[in-house]
Amino acid sequence: MAYRAEPPDGGWGWMVVLSAFFQSALVFGVLRSFGVFFVEFVAAFEEPAARVSWIASIGIAVQQFGSPVGSALSTKFGPRPVVMTGGILAALGMLLASFATSLTHLYLSIGLLSGSGWALTFTPTLACLSRYFSRRRSLATGLALTGVGLSSFAFAPLFQWLLNHYAWRGALLLVSALSLHLVACGALLRPLSLAEDPVVGGPGAQITSLLRHGPFLRYTVALTLINTGYFIPYVHLVAHLRDLGWDPLPAAFLLSVAAISDLVGRVASGWLGDAVPGPVARLLMLWTTLTGVILALYPVAEAPTGLVALTVAYGFTSGALTPVAFSVLPELVGTGKIYCGLGLVQMVESIGGLLGAPLSGYLRDVTGNYTASFVVAGTFLLAGSGVLITLPHFFCFSAPTSRPQDHVTEALDTKVPLPEEGLGED
Amino acid sequence: MRALQGLRGPRAPALPLFLLCFLAAVRRSLEDGLSTAAPFTSLPVQEEITTKYSNLSSESHNISVTAAPYTSLPVQEEMMTKYSNLSLESHNISMTEQSNMPVEKNITLERPSNVELTCQFTTSGDLNSVNVTWKKGDKLLEDNYLVNATGSILYTQYRVAVIGSKQMGSYSCFFGEKKQHRGTFNLKVPEINGKNKPLITYVGDSVVLMCKCQDCLPLNWTWYGVNGSVQVPIGVPVNDKYVISGKHANETRLKITQLSEDDQGTYWCHAIFELGESEGHVELVVLSYLVPLKAFCAIVAEVVLLVTAILLFEMYTQKKKKPSGDGKEFEQGEQMKLDDSNGIENSGPRHRKNESVGQ
Repeated sequence: MAYRAEPPDGGWGWMVVLSAFFQSALVFGVLRSFGVFFVEFVAAFEEPAARVSWIASIGIAVQQFGSPVGSALSTKFGPRPVVMTGGILAALGMLLASFATSLTHLYLSIGLLSGSGWALTFTPTLACLSRYFSRRRSLATGLALTGVGLSSFAFAPLFQWLLNHYAWRGALLLVSALSLHLVACGALLRPLSLAEDPVVGGPGAQITSLLRHGPFLRYTVALTLINTGYFIPYVHLVAHLRDLGWDPLPAAFLLSVAAISDLVGRVASGWLGDAVPGPVARLLMLWTTLTGVILALYPVAEAPTGLVALTVAYGFTSGALTPVAFSVLPELVGTGKIYCGLGLVQMVESIGGLLGAPLSGYLRDVTGNYTASFVVAGTFLLAGSGVLITLPHFFCFSAPTSRPQDHVTEALDTKVPLPEEGLGED
Repeated sequence: MRALQGLRGPRAPALPLFLLCFLAAVRRSLEDGLSTAAPFTSLPVQEEITTKYSNLSSESHNISVTAAPYTSLPVQEEMMTKYSNLSLESHNISMTEQSNMPVEKNITLERPSNVELTCQFTTSGDLNSVNVTWKKGDKLLEDNYLVNATGSILYTQYRVAVIGSKQMGSYSCFFGEKKQHRGTFNLKVPEINGKNKPLITYVGDSVVLMCKCQDCLPLNWTWYGVNGSVQVPIGVPVNDKYVISGKHANETRLKITQLSEDDQGTYWCHAIFELGESEGHVELVVLSYLVPLKAFCAIVAEVVLLVTAILLFEMYTQKKKKPSGDGKEFEQGEQMKLDDSNGIENSGPRHRKNESVGQ
């Protein structure tokens, strides 16, 4: 088996970008467009909307908490078999859901089964992507993540069309077939053997070493704080606009505008992340600070033009911070440990995500408007960006981005036990 | 007013004929039940009604009561007290001389009530020469209406006690000799909302069809299925397949279990009011599982093809790469950095470079 010293930065990597694009579309696009099904479930099972929305919440929670499992398995077996299994699980969950007779049935099939399928697909794919690129990592990640935004646009009308023609049972059946394409995407993830792989050890060893890695822990804290504030505007923007007297249709339209600027922000930031020398963490701090400031300005803006401008800016900056957030990690822990690293980060930051929206809702109930919740969200983001300053090499303007060789020597220094079997196939 | 009085009553000179005609008119109006709020009421009774129902919004204008010479007040007062407990509804239509388009107003009535229909006509000409007629459907109405003129506006008001389906329908007021200006009041029962989009279900499933009335409370609901072009009542022999229920009085639900393709079609729900019947419809489509299953299998087959193609392609490129040996890996890494456009791993012999990898 031959190991590359450097990631290929192109070649088959672009196929991995394509695979990641479709996977983020099929995982998050489906999750975001699932609201279309909720109306049907409420009518079919005669349950209140709050109980029905638990389906998506369970799915997201399982996907995020299951990320370390997906990562650990990918480290051991390589991303391809793990992602293909995840695709089969996700499709199976939807298939079983089409036969559902009660809401609990849906919680288990879509929430648990499809959720664990998604956990096995998304994180390993992004980690694999980080291994294939080094110079163009941010751009590749940004391009791959645009799949989420574009698919939300496409899937919502598609799901509605399916519902009109096949009712929810038939529509779930066809969404299951759609999710099966995750398997095809997984097939595209050719395993890559990098030089530092044999050195960093198996999943257990990696996780232990990561948990002792200071910068990694600080970065996880920063991302958790950022995640707490990140989702709040998505959840509460429309309600805030309605409070200010906007009609539902212009408010929803504004949200679409934010989604478009989100897309633009992702690609632009991806390109910028690669073009600017030095640690990518600085760009992440820039975007996070901007997003935090914009959120804090929200309560001040009353005029429609101000709100539109703020929303467009929020969309751009919040989209911009996503690819950079994924790019910082390989610089911190190296591409050898990227699977486990990403899995752990996703799991911990999901706590922030889960807490953020209910906290904001609680603040709104207590204070009567969304001012407090927006300001709190902005504060979380600013706090997260503050923690980012503590990352290594932050203030060095001439230090190059960490090279794989550094991680090899670092790993050797910490005397990680060598694995007994090889990592993945070649 | 002369022309109006001419319309109002017979010109018979003799008194006995007068009385006979009066008796005939009274009996006919008694049969039709059109006797409340007759224009011959005495003012005290009228005031009693207006004060009793003064909380209702009333658009009716003050109309001077012209007492015709041929009624006895006690008979009419009896009619008035009989229906005076009903609520009063007032509706207004205004027309001008210039507009020749007929004006229509839809009035929704749920319960028996007294209805006051007013037409006002603006003209620059002589008000006294304008002919006023009222019609219900095609039938000319002889009495129960007032005419008044104020300034340049001519008012006419028709009052009717609507207590059954016979009094529902279209009432029209006509102005002019050739009845060229027309205003119509359409008295209708409330509408029922079924569902506009067809409900899609599958064989063996169960479905709930719902009909709802916005702000009304029907007395009773019935469901009909359509067999050919005939409406067949459902749920009359009560069985497990059809269950009619309703959480509130303004809605009805028909639950059908064990669906089969025969159950496909349009279902009608009838709401019964005191003043008539209203209906809504829901369309039901029953599909068999094969319909989405075929699409599902097609997509699954496509995915399997994709996966096989990708894996075969990879095996093919691996085979072509294998004979060259391990050293190639590093060189190909260098080649990749030059950003090949087709993005496929290069195979085939390349120039060996004497650089050491890893610097």
